[in-house]
Amino acid sequence: MLRDSSSRDSSSRDSFVEDSFSRFPSQSNIYGLCQAGSQELLAATLKGKVVCFRYQELQHKVRPVAKEVQFTYIPVDAEIVSIDAFNKSPPKRGLVVGITFIKDSGDKATPFLNIYCDYEPGSEFNLDSIAQSCLNLELQFTPFQLYHTEVQCADGGSETVFLLSGHDQRIHLYKENASLHQFEEQPVEKLFPELQQLPSNVLWLDVLSVAGGRRLSVFGCQNGCVGLALVDQAGPEVVQSWRVQFDSPISTVLLFPLSRHAAGAEVGRYNLLVTSAIEMAVIYRDVQDRGLSWFTCLSESDQFDAVLCALVLDLDFDGQQEVLLGTYGQELLCYKLQAAPGGGGGGSDSHFQLQWRRSFKSPVLSIIYLDLTGDGVRELAVLTLKGLHILQHSLTGTADLLLERLALRASELAVASELDSHGAPDEPESRAPAEESAAPTSSD
Amino acid sequence: MRSVNYVQRVSLDFTGTLFPHAICLGDADNDSLNELVVGDTSGKLLIYKNDDSKPWITRTCVGMLTCVAVGDVCNKGKNFVVAVGAEGWFHLFDLTATSANKAESSSQHESLPPEDQRPFFTQHIPANTKVILISDIDGDGRCELVVGYTDRVVRAFRWEEPYEGSEVGSGQLVLLKKWLLEGQVDSLSVNPGVEGLPELMVSQPGCGYAILLCSWTQPAGSPFLPSLIGHSEGPSRDVVLHPTTGRIHNKNVSTHLIGSISKGSKEESSKCGLFALCTLDGTLKLMDSSEQLLWSVQVDHQLFALQKLDVTGDGREEVVACAWDGQTYIIDHNRTVVRFQFDENVNAFCAGQYTCKEGRNSPCLVYVSFNHKIHVYWKVELERMESTNLLRVLERRSGFGEQLAALGVGEWGSNRTLRSLRRLMITNGGGLFCFLLILFVNGLT
Repeated sequence: MLRDSSSRDSSSRDSFVEDSFSRFPSQSNIYGLCQAGSQELLAATLKGKVVCFRYQELQHKVRPVAKEVQFTYIPVDAEIVSIDAFNKSPPKRGLVVGITFIKDSGDKATPFLNIYCDYEPGSEFNLDSIAQSCLNLELQFTPFQLYHTEVQCADGGSETVFLLSGHDQRIHLYKENASLHQFEEQPVEKLFPELQQLPSNVLWLDVLSVAGGRRLSVFGCQNGCVGLALVDQAGPEVVQSWRVQFDSPISTVLLFPLSRHAAGAEVGRYNLLVTSAIEMAVIYRDVQDRGLSWFTCLSESDQFDAVLCALVLDLDFDGQQEVLLGTYGQELLCYKLQAAPGGGGGGSDSHFQLQWRRSFKSPVLSIIYLDLTGDGVRELAVLTLKGLHILQHSLTGTADLLLERLALRASELAVASELDSHGAPDEPESRAPAEESAAPTSSD
Repeated sequence: MRSVNYVQRVSLDFTGTLFPHAICLGDADNDSLNELVVGDTSGKLLIYKNDDSKPWITRTCVGMLTCVAVGDVCNKGKNFVVAVGAEGWFHLFDLTATSANKAESSSQHESLPPEDQRPFFTQHIPANTKVILISDIDGDGRCELVVGYTDRVVRAFRWEEPYEGSEVGSGQLVLLKKWLLEGQVDSLSVNPGVEGLPELMVSQPGCGYAILLCSWTQPAGSPFLPSLIGHSEGPSRDVVLHPTTGRIHNKNVSTHLIGSISKGSKEESSKCGLFALCTLDGTLKLMDSSEQLLWSVQVDHQLFALQKLDVTGDGREEVVACAWDGQTYIIDHNRTVVRFQFDENVNAFCAGQYTCKEGRNSPCLVYVSFNHKIHVYWKVELERMESTNLLRVLERRSGFGEQLAALGVGEWGSNRTLRSLRRLMITNGGGLFCFLLILFVNGLT
């Protein structure tokens, strides 16, 4: 079909348009960007400043606003290492922000973890008041990545906890003590048996809940070791674990399902992306069943200096996930799974191919895909050494695509209503998914 | 204020130093693709083409080049390159043939004999030149050459030949008129007046401007005989000074001006033209020739160059102002500002159409740094000046409401629509439709 070929052409290009750039007073690092709430970003800079970025609607105009948030108890001589934020798991309410920093007063550098959260009803999500209520924890180790994940509690509920990796070859867990209304360190073994006796310092950690009350957790170490574990959350008990050794420090590990429908349709098809300082990025396929035995390399991903960050997302709205890599060589690389001729999307001879790359003015440190403008289409936030770039999908192109899909959908419904004499558009729910999933993939 | 980061650029080698007006973009060889013309203080004229970091053509002129321009100064229907030195030497180059020669010879270096490298015409005009303009200033459809001087004088010349159709080399510049101004002239520009006739405007210190009257167009028998005016009546009769009102300015602050800013369509732009002013203390103004102020912006950067460029591709030209420290402001007619920070100090700046990549003209920003480089940003187009979201774009699309109605989701904005859309979203794998749901949940409609 003619239309199909044209849509493939457009998808092979970078459809992003830079909407705004906020310059930061000092540089940031790979742990320096996080999402806070649904439409806001927090970016931490080395010299102790935290910037909140969002879009504000003023006089019927949408404008980007980057505002410094005054988080209390961060001394002037502090250097921020990492930042993370999450919304508490229901039924609890509130935003929690964690910031690790090192206070260097000359003779001795002291690391700290500050956890900010407000228990005052009505202000649990107010960033300015959260920033004023701080729990200050002194650390015995140099902090690295601050990560959060949801765990199942003994009482059947779930709770979100902080996991902080340190240079003491351990991961530390910080959990809220409900009675004291504050966070405290708890032994990590109890909830995360897979995260004990680590081979080296963990630089990056990722945890993903999978079907059957299980979770996959993976860590990447400074010495190049990657550890993957399948854990039954009920125990918790390690069902199976795998290790693999790389030649250079691991910069990112990321677990993801490949296609968006796959999360429901093909249970257990999870993939693991591993990026390291000097080697090519690798994707381990179907890790839950095959462990680390089946892998694909992302060719050319080692050509632009170290890969520092990665993200998996559907950029061209075709239902297939693409892999984005941000490199120290100031490039953003986009890879897409190319099915081998005749083979299906997940066939064993399919491979990832570089679709496009986009240059930046400084090294790419971190990327997040979220809806900042509140229109349902997500934006790509790219943190570079100099500041924060917001890339927006070309709105003209997206609107064209949406109208095209709506027309397609309308014509399908018209056919369906002719077949069924009922003619109600709400009715053919049961077989619509099959038709729909066929429509976007027909271009492949 | 929205700010963006341009990345795609080429860096051209340039070892000399230059005056701020000794750089321009134009079609020097008449191939409909624009080149970058630069003149340096040692008299070298450099012409860059495409993304080649070495000059395509180098020519040597007499004296320090203070200003360069590309235009049909001889009214021959083709462009010439004009380079004027501080000492008053006017050089005229015809580079049309060079293009063909270059293409034939495989060698990249100068293969032409020295006599071909010389300008085909030179003439001495009064010295201390500062800025030039090639444009029709009197509305006769023929181009004139206007030269601004450091001694507050502006002179207009016309290319005249002994008889019609004679060799170009046999012609010469003839002085039409001399105006004497009260303040320094930093820019020359032409702007359509209220009646649609071109008006010659010059900037005056303190965010002011003056309109210079072309008295030779006065009908015969009028009291203003060209020969008399310069002497008997003094400069005031032909110089209409317009100090702009508003904030109190430093009345000596250097001011730049640019006129004939396109409003989108030819008819609209040809009458009551738009012009912009900027000052070194950071004032920017957009006005039209009826002296109506459209907007005024105050920034805390020292603006030293003012250009116009259509970055959104809608036919309307935006005002582009550049500061010494590289901060660049792009402002549209509705006062929407987009900033770009060039990371070095700027020696000279210009903006316009240039053929850098892909063999076609595209809007470019050109910065001359102090580090022997000229940086050309060749991908500076923006989809729009203002931040917006998909909803606002869709609202302006025809057919969106009808599409929704055809899908049975009912009126845009009703509760039933929300339910239907939720269903639509669930049955759609493509992932795009979740936007509609969020839209309704957020109550944005």
